[in-house]
Amino acid sequence: MTAQHTPTHAIDMSSVLQGRTTHDEQTEVCIKVENLQLFYGQKQALHSINMEMPKKKVTAYIGPSGCGKSTLLRCINRMNDLVDNVTIEGQILLDNENIYDKSVNVAALRRRVGMVFQKPNPFPKSIFENVCYGLRIQGINDKRILEETVENALRGAALWDEVKDRLHDNALGLSGGQQQRLVIARAIAIEPEVLLLDEPASALDPISTLKIEELINELKEKYTIVIVTHNMQQAARVSDYTAFMYMGELIEMGATSQLFTKPVKKQTEDYITGRYG
Amino acid sequence: MPEINKNTKKPASIQISPAYEQWRLLKDKLARYGVVAGGLGVIVAIVLIFFYLLYVVYPLFISASVEPVDHYAAPEQALGKTILLEMEEQNEVAARFTESGQVVFFEVATGKVVLTQAIAIPEGVKITSFSQGSPINEGAVIYGLSDGRAIVVKHQYKATYPDNKRLITPSLKYPLGETPLVIDTTGAALEKIAVKIGSDASTVIVKSAGKIRLVNFAKEQSLFADEAALTRTDAVLEVSAENVETILVDKDEANLYLLSADGRLSYIDISNKSSPLLRQEQNVVTAGQTITSVSFLNGDLSLLIGDSTGQVSQWSMIRDKLNHRTMEKIRAFKVSDKAVVTINAEQRRKGFMAIDADGVLGIYHSTAERQLIKQQIGQAQPVAAVLSPRANGLLVELADGQMHFWRVDNEHPEVSIKSLWQEVWYESYPKPDYIWQSSSASNDFEPKYSLTPLVFGTLKAAFYAMWVAIPLALMGAIYTAYFMAPGMRIYVKPTIEIMGALPTVILGFLAGLWLAPFMEAHLGGVFALLMILPLGVMLFAYAWLHLPKKLAQKIPEGWGAAFLIPVILLSGWFAFSVSVPLETWLFNGSLRDWFKSELGIGYDQRNALVVGVAMGFAVIPTIFSIAEDAIFSVPKHLTVGSLALGATPWQTMSRVVLLTASPGIFSAVMIGFGRAVGETMIVLMATGNTPVMDLSVFQGLRTLAANIAVEMPESEVDSTHYRILFLAALVLFVFTFIFNTLAEVIRQRLREKYSSL
Repeated sequence: MTAQHTPTHAIDMSSVLQGRTTHDEQTEVCIKVENLQLFYGQKQALHSINMEMPKKKVTAYIGPSGCGKSTLLRCINRMNDLVDNVTIEGQILLDNENIYDKSVNVAALRRRVGMVFQKPNPFPKSIFENVCYGLRIQGINDKRILEETVENALRGAALWDEVKDRLHDNALGLSGGQQQRLVIARAIAIEPEVLLLDEPASALDPISTLKIEELINELKEKYTIVIVTHNMQQAARVSDYTAFMYMGELIEMGATSQLFTKPVKKQTEDYITGRYG
Repeated sequence: MPEINKNTKKPASIQISPAYEQWRLLKDKLARYGVVAGGLGVIVAIVLIFFYLLYVVYPLFISASVEPVDHYAAPEQALGKTILLEMEEQNEVAARFTESGQVVFFEVATGKVVLTQAIAIPEGVKITSFSQGSPINEGAVIYGLSDGRAIVVKHQYKATYPDNKRLITPSLKYPLGETPLVIDTTGAALEKIAVKIGSDASTVIVKSAGKIRLVNFAKEQSLFADEAALTRTDAVLEVSAENVETILVDKDEANLYLLSADGRLSYIDISNKSSPLLRQEQNVVTAGQTITSVSFLNGDLSLLIGDSTGQVSQWSMIRDKLNHRTMEKIRAFKVSDKAVVTINAEQRRKGFMAIDADGVLGIYHSTAERQLIKQQIGQAQPVAAVLSPRANGLLVELADGQMHFWRVDNEHPEVSIKSLWQEVWYESYPKPDYIWQSSSASNDFEPKYSLTPLVFGTLKAAFYAMWVAIPLALMGAIYTAYFMAPGMRIYVKPTIEIMGALPTVILGFLAGLWLAPFMEAHLGGVFALLMILPLGVMLFAYAWLHLPKKLAQKIPEGWGAAFLIPVILLSGWFAFSVSVPLETWLFNGSLRDWFKSELGIGYDQRNALVVGVAMGFAVIPTIFSIAEDAIFSVPKHLTVGSLALGATPWQTMSRVVLLTASPGIFSAVMIGFGRAVGETMIVLMATGNTPVMDLSVFQGLRTLAANIAVEMPESEVDSTHYRILFLAALVLFVFTFIFNTLAEVIRQRLREKYSSL
């Protein structure tokens, strides 16, 4: 199902960094990570990460547990700020603005960079209220706008047909896969530029996983997507670009087809062939 | 699948010994039965408590009953018609006073004559009138004679125990001398008469020769003589004596009531014996009807007037704001459609018995407005009737010459839904009211058992306590659970929880002996604190927000609250020091006096404000602890999810965290409220225990729990008062039970709705 997205050209790090040089399609850079270092107390968790994520493409982070891929993802919407004793150096540019600048309003940043977590986390409210939560906290209470947005977001998350008759039921009554799509709907309701997906399908059954993956394919038409996954097949299926991380370092990044077929680094090859992880 | 079986062969080392296996199962069983037994034990204990309360309270609601014991011919009928029947304490001996001046004592059970005695009436003089004094005061009666003289007799009973059997010996005594007293010096026959024998003075009122005369004999105790000299005061009343049928003097010998058969009631103030004063004259029955019998209710504060329509109305003296006293009808009882022939008041309670012309007997209680018994006694018109002093027996003589003895079982006539919960017009009160006043020094006092002021007080105390506790405890819980640094939280939470371990008697003691006088003396300071403290905190918060970056970075996140401590202390000090000049400047020196003079708000030292603060202090740890746990245990992924959508921490807290924690917060508040309702020691010591129904924060109150604690030791076991206290306990029990059940149901529903995964 993802075959049509397989890039025809091999893209190495430099070509990705160069952005549009090798691609006929638009590969404008959306997020640029520059020399990012992250410390939990004294322990360094990320070592000088440099990467670029192109606009309206799916970038996947793969790597063994504890390699720092989720940490890196959380840096993009500054969720790591919530962790005690965390120190971050370097910068991340979103549309050429450093999100770690002191003048940045974190709440506004997070509105632009939506995030979906591993475990579905709908609020204990109705389906409707869950989806329009992001609007309400911005002070939008116009019923017409809310209804329209909710419908669009639920359609966007391929959930509308399943829940349109019970919008005012409690969201906790949905199945795990539906909850995860609801959470995606909630994230896209506020029309972010970037969607961060932190192992979005790992707690779901295969059928729900399939639906989420189909959804990711549709969503990349509109959003820049960064996904962390444990599942290499999933990364291969859904992503355009893949970054392999190991021990807090970015080992290799490139077009997905290339990275999975002709990895440059030995570590990458070892990982994707199942030697460790 | 055979190949799997091969693989799962057990290694010898993990063989479980059967003995251990059994021991394991036994332990499991023991634990299970232990838990079940414990749980059932708790339920059984609660049910037993409930049923014990019910068991003590139940007799209050058993209806009264009468049963005939015997009837026999009235003894010594040849000695004349009965004008008064009397019965002594033990229901063994009764006395029949005849119109010919004879007293026949007879056994109540059989009618056998014990003693017949003639009253020392001089030769050639006829008896023209008769009346009974106070039945309580050793039963004085007075005979008015045809020559203007009168004789006062008391009937007395002495109990002896020869052969360990009780023997009651009746006798007659003449408290004002055996020779008749000259009342009307003109020698006119005494047509109507009334008497009150007091310990210091006695008053006789007569109607003779068309005039109402008053004679008062005051004892003047001489230091040296054993016998006191009697000083006599005479007065002729300037009221019409026409048609006067009944004369009544109250036990204080201060109020005189004249009633005529056609329904006119004159109320005369005779507190000054030499110049009686007519205060009021009015009609007490509807036109065309007649008064057929009159009696004082016990205590002589109310008149019971029976009329020809079969109604008994109670008239009581009401004092208005100008100290103007009038007789007002406060309630009425319908006995039947026939004339009420006799009314006998109970001697120790506010009950009475009335019999109509057809021999229908009714027993009533005035305060409870309750008809306890209605019973046909016989088929003839009653001649005389008496209710025994303990109100457990009655004797009625009917016109057919038969004497009927009935036993009465009427333990708790004072209780009715009305007397417990509704406004009752008590004797001498200007209007119906809710009053709790269970006892007093005198025996003829009307007990006022309205539970309404107590329930009101309970809710009022809980209400003010919750006003103090809910904001502080919930805000504290929110801050501690959600914003405070973990390093500070581990000190703050246990500290507040330890507050809950403080014995409430200490809190009550401090509230009553320190806080109440302190607040009284520094009321202005308390109000200043209410304004200055929030202001100070706001100012501090504003300053905190604009703290120089360098300084702000040095303070670890979530420790801001620690810096509030000096701010609060400083605001407190400032409030109390600024209040004195402020009070002088704005309120003429004292806010308390200003409230009183300008707004008319009275200030009790022990008041709801003190209780609110003290009990709020006791309730805070409960609410705080449970609410804090609830907020703290809101799953992290919800807050993170909200923050990731661009919500600020405050929005996350108010829209997601509080919502998810709402079942826990709700039960925290409910448990706190339950504690405030049942709390005893603090309200006992700090409320003043005044059962008033006043919402004012400066007025005292009395709660159900404190009332039980205060009055239980002094109530007589199995008395109405005792059982009503148990009823109060039952009310408290049922209230908390219903309230908790309701709270639990609501909590479950909230949990269904808002609990997260």
